[in-house]
Amino acid sequence: MSVITLHINDRLVSGRVGQTLLEVARDNGIAIPTLCNLEELEPWGGCRLCMVEVEGLGKLQAACLTRAVEGLAVHTDTARLHSWRRMIVELLLAERNHTCAVCVVNGHCELQDMAARLGVDHVRYDYLHPDLRMDVTQERFGLDHNRCILCTRCVRTCAEIEGACTWAVSGRGITSRVTVDLDRPWGKSTTCTDCGKCVQMCPTGALYRKGATVGEMVREKTHLQQVLERRRAGRNPGRRE
Amino acid sequence: MDFCMDESCGKCSPCRAGTVQLDRFLDRVSNGSASERGLVHLEALCQLLKETSLCGLGVSAPNPVLSTLRYFRDEYLAHIREHRCPAGVCRMSEVPVTMLADELLQRISAGRLDGEAF
Repeated sequence: MSVITLHINDRLVSGRVGQTLLEVARDNGIAIPTLCNLEELEPWGGCRLCMVEVEGLGKLQAACLTRAVEGLAVHTDTARLHSWRRMIVELLLAERNHTCAVCVVNGHCELQDMAARLGVDHVRYDYLHPDLRMDVTQERFGLDHNRCILCTRCVRTCAEIEGACTWAVSGRGITSRVTVDLDRPWGKSTTCTDCGKCVQMCPTGALYRKGATVGEMVREKTHLQQVLERRRAGRNPGRRE
Repeated sequence: MDFCMDESCGKCSPCRAGTVQLDRFLDRVSNGSASERGLVHLEALCQLLKETSLCGLGVSAPNPVLSTLRYFRDEYLAHIREHRCPAGVCRMSEVPVTMLADELLQRISAGRLDGEAF
């Protein structure tokens, strides 16, 4: 397995051929903020929080989609990137009804953590307050569109890990929604296996375990890690190359 | 901007949510409720879309705003400071300045009620 070296934030780091910038940074203890990326899921590149500056390229690059190349010089934490990340989180908070005070994942939410980490103390944009529904037809879990940030982790988890392909995104632009089985109620789904992996992967309170009240929906990390480790063990390490 | 909002696929967050916010900023300019600080946010938002969007649609969506800001900034400022539309296009110019606050409140409440958010 060939090794490459590159500079991230003026630090010399090494990685393997075929790894993305995000993976190399993560392996070397450099945290790049992201909401849609999850180790062991195919990269999506939708949240745009992992944008990094690559020397020699005029455009910003999404670290989760850019392959690390020998000799690259990357900056992950400049003032410009910080302000863009902050604005993106503000846009996400303004887009739907992210009411932390009554949310089931209050305190365990990745969007909330990200906002705190980036120093979002107020939102400069109009809250859009869309009129969105909840889907509580499923026996064990609920879907709350008000909290969804369209990271599509549930879509990818269902397709790649469970293999059921229950989730999809319908509509486009600001009217995009995650849907079950071509827009059926979740409880009427014929493909859903009730495994609950999507619920464990959801960064916000969009997917939650029924019965949880404010702040009670804590994800079972051990279950999630077991799934990922099993998957990692069975995976050919050279698959992405 | 309506066009860009419609055409946005919704995959990347800056384009999906940003085009809607651009549209609302422009609405506010044309109904006279924008502020000069808002104009700074507007420019920053345009740069955000330009630099972080996934595809060419999001990258080029703010172009009309950026070029009007460059060549017709005085018209933006006339809307904001004098509540006047030099080109005579915006409805605002028909509303006397003294009645503007009431008119705006009505429009805002009407907008919220019939779902003009999108």
